Amino acid sequence: MRRPAPARAGTARPARRRPRAPRRPNWLAGTGALLWLLVVGLPVYVLLVASVRPREGYLSEGPLTPPADPTLDNYVGAVRNGFLTFVANTAVVTVAVAALVVVLAVPVGYAVVRARGRWAGGVLRFFLLGLAIPAQAVVIPVYLIIRELGLYDTLAAIILPTAAFALPVCVLILTGSMRDISEDLYEAMALDGAGSVRTFLRLVVPLSRPGIATVATYASLQAWNGLLFPLILTQSRDQRVITLGLFEFQGQYRVDIPGMLAAVALSAVPILILYLVARRSLVNGLMGVGGK
Amino acid sequence: MSAAAGGPARPGAAWALPGALFFLVFAVVPLLLVGYLSLTSWEGLGAPRFTGAQNWVRLAGDPVMRQAVVLSAALTAATWLVQTPISLLLGVWAAGPQRNRAVLSAVFFTPLLFSSAAVAIVWKTLLDPNFGPITRVGPWLGLPDANVLGSSAGAFLAVVFVSAWQFIPLHTLIYQGGARQIPAVLYGAAEIDGAGRFRRFWHVTLPQLRHTITTSSVLMVVGALTYFETVLILTQGGPGTDTSIVPYLMYRVGFAGYEMGYASAIAATLVVAATGVSLLLVRFTGFAAMRSTREGM
Amino acid sequence: MVNFKRRAVFAAATALAVLALTGCGAGSGDDAMDVWMYQDSLNVVQQAAVDRFNAEHGPDVTATMVEVPGDGYEDRLRTVMGSDDQPDVFFNWGGGGIRPYVEAGTLLPLDDLLADDPELRDAFLPAVLQAGQVDGVQYGIPLRGTQPVLLFYNREVFAEAGAEPPRTWEDVLDLVEVFQEAGVTPFALAGATPWTEQMWLQYLVDRYGGPEVFARIQSGDHEGWRDPAVLRAAETVRDLVERGAFGDNFGSVSYTEGAASALLAQGRAAMHLMGAWEYSTQLADAPAFAESGLGYVPFPAMPGGAGDPANLVGNPTNFFSVTADSPHTEHALAFLRTTADEEYVRDMVANGEVPTTADAAEHFADAPDPEYAEFQYELVQRAPSFTLSWDQALPPSVAAPMHTEIQRLFNGQSTPERFTDALAALR
Repeated sequence: MRRPAPARAGTARPARRRPRAPRRPNWLAGTGALLWLLVVGLPVYVLLVASVRPREGYLSEGPLTPPADPTLDNYVGAVRNGFLTFVANTAVVTVAVAALVVVLAVPVGYAVVRARGRWAGGVLRFFLLGLAIPAQAVVIPVYLIIRELGLYDTLAAIILPTAAFALPVCVLILTGSMRDISEDLYEAMALDGAGSVRTFLRLVVPLSRPGIATVATYASLQAWNGLLFPLILTQSRDQRVITLGLFEFQGQYRVDIPGMLAAVALSAVPILILYLVARRSLVNGLMGVGGK
Repeated sequence: MSAAAGGPARPGAAWALPGALFFLVFAVVPLLLVGYLSLTSWEGLGAPRFTGAQNWVRLAGDPVMRQAVVLSAALTAATWLVQTPISLLLGVWAAGPQRNRAVLSAVFFTPLLFSSAAVAIVWKTLLDPNFGPITRVGPWLGLPDANVLGSSAGAFLAVVFVSAWQFIPLHTLIYQGGARQIPAVLYGAAEIDGAGRFRRFWHVTLPQLRHTITTSSVLMVVGALTYFETVLILTQGGPGTDTSIVPYLMYRVGFAGYEMGYASAIAATLVVAATGVSLLLVRFTGFAAMRSTREGM
Repeated sequence: MVNFKRRAVFAAATALAVLALTGCGAGSGDDAMDVWMYQDSLNVVQQAAVDRFNAEHGPDVTATMVEVPGDGYEDRLRTVMGSDDQPDVFFNWGGGGIRPYVEAGTLLPLDDLLADDPELRDAFLPAVLQAGQVDGVQYGIPLRGTQPVLLFYNREVFAEAGAEPPRTWEDVLDLVEVFQEAGVTPFALAGATPWTEQMWLQYLVDRYGGPEVFARIQSGDHEGWRDPAVLRAAETVRDLVERGAFGDNFGSVSYTEGAASALLAQGRAAMHLMGAWEYSTQLADAPAFAESGLGYVPFPAMPGGAGDPANLVGNPTNFFSVTADSPHTEHALAFLRTTADEEYVRDMVANGEVPTTADAAEHFADAPDPEYAEFQYELVQRAPSFTLSWDQALPPSVAAPMHTEIQRLFNGQSTPERFTDALAALR
């Protein structure tokens, strides 16, 4: 691997840092950043403050003033409305999509990068064709297929097409990171008498870890974020994922805006926990989505 | 299959088979079916009825579809124009060494915690013309009646803005990663040449980030073609049809009007456009090849 | 490295297990009878009915009420009706909305049910029961109170302005001026939700041209949209908007979040044209206002118009239908019978609804506002015509773009002439 993981660049290789000493502060950039801070921070502040406001307080108190009488009732209400089920369903969908994508895409990447013969390039082109095709475009036939498979209103109905449409980008990312594995290493494996299975497991997979992390992050994001497939392909309450739950909370809460915003705030908690637990690989994964 | 003499072992086609098959069944077959369904009349119940080019003839003369195409193109362009400069500047800035930047960055990235649906719901609440904070902020922005989502320009700009709010953190992160990898030597050399901050940015940072710009732009363009949640929740394609971009129009026609055949023709248009974009991207940006030539960056 | 590999294998195994499990869970619900309801504040009545049904029919079958939120109801219903997860019993509006299901053979005819149980048949007002028919075959049993569209107003706001609720269109125009001067929005309107705007057009068309105008359109004559009454109604809408009758940001207000009703309750708007359920909505969200501050009158008369001012538009009622493939048809029919039960009717009245059963009036003393119940019941009985909501009466492929055109008219993105042309072109 010639490329260090991006976030490590700062700490592990101080020599590559930009010179620190002789710079005057960049006022323009600082002001811009502060402005953006306001744009991002204010809505988040309003969201959090409103979510602890009593329902009656929302319409009378100003949206920016701190709540006179903060309460967690709205959160309790969201949990009572089955929010934990939605979280569990989303977790299943997200993990399954990420795992499915990794299990399918990594061997494809290996084949594309290392196989002899023209078909390997053909396989890559086959996947790349789907690069910019939005999953939305196929929701009608997917609905038809899922219905025929008897999978309507199951989590598998969300998992399968979501994973399929994450594959092109993932194959692309993986081939990129696998091409960086040097020929010497393959030859060393060959000297050990390793066949393609062992080469794959002992060399390709371990050295593609950053790529795999990126792919897993990307696929999880797609699964976590999706609303259209759950909207069309599932119905019942016990198959509901967070995004659909939020969408349906909308009608349910009517004038109870604080209750709805509490559900929204709650929906960020799983990712927040994930971020705290696996901050580095998450950030690296996201940076990796952009390639270099 | 051990590879003693003939060099390293080479994987056979079987390695690509499971992935390719899966992709075939759940992505390619649906794509082909879109084409077939676009030639049928199907109301979602029973079996599709073959009607030939009827849907396509109708599509060609449909002013709402024409508007949707224009809106999708405009949204893609606006997305790129708004998000690229901001995330580029923020990313380069956040890649810097100062300590407070780390704290600020943490706030910058909070939108990443929310799904599109959550973001759209929050903004819909914020933009409520009677009960949302926009009623307080609006007058400063020249919107005394806070009628954002009810006006054509307002609703369109709201979609652009809300998606920017949501996605700029991601692209900032991408640029931050890219900027951190620019060798410090280059800046040193530029400084010796007497280059100011602006010229360093222009002559060192930007050229060094060109691949990052390509990747980020690709993600933005592809993303903008698929915006759906934001429109569904924030504007429902309105007022009238003035934010009905192609994916949303397809949804409306298919799942509110139950004209699944006609909706498939709309979807097929989206597929053709997206494939075109894919091909362009792969060909002209060297997007596919780029990742193998990372050496020396 | 090895550790990572193990984790990858583990993750893969989990994924496959999950797929297997979820896949297996597909054909669920052998003894579960799903009852689909459009989610709103009136559903307490159906929930109670479901609970009573379960108590009685016990373990052999369990009815579950599935509440589908607001505006997405029909979309979701359509998707599920195409699958093999169809609900056993579902809420609908009768009319054009269920015709596709009838044509696809997915609905159970209910003629036998009524023939076997004359008591059930006679329990409902005949005209209402008839609205649950498609081509003379009964497919729906009334499940809710009658829901005419009424003009609600805030008594306190009117008292402060020294104004009287409108009786004629001239009154309406005067009141628009009065309330604008008082700094109150004359009419709350959730313009981001086009069916609320449709109510205005429906009444105006009816007042100008009578119910025949829409009856002609409903029968499939697209040129009916070019009737002068439609054009005049559209012009009147533009006139109202330009006078500021709905304020200047109605286009951003959406109904499902309850903003329009909140505006009326808070006195920021003086009037609100809405279905009779507005009363129950206010009772749930602003009980104090519902009890003392909420006034109601019929839609005003249009001088010189051909329509009888006693005509109503709205939903005569909502219906329960049963899917033909349901494994629980016997139980489903038993459940349908409970909608004429005394408890059911009493629950409806207590929730502010006016049942469509012939004996409804006996229960009005128990209503939260007997006067309101009486008012509605009389209105419906006296009405020479009660036109079903356009979007329910017309096929969905027409209703969806019609909503768009209505919204464009209100927002000034279209003119009355272009509006009628666009509607006449819909197929």
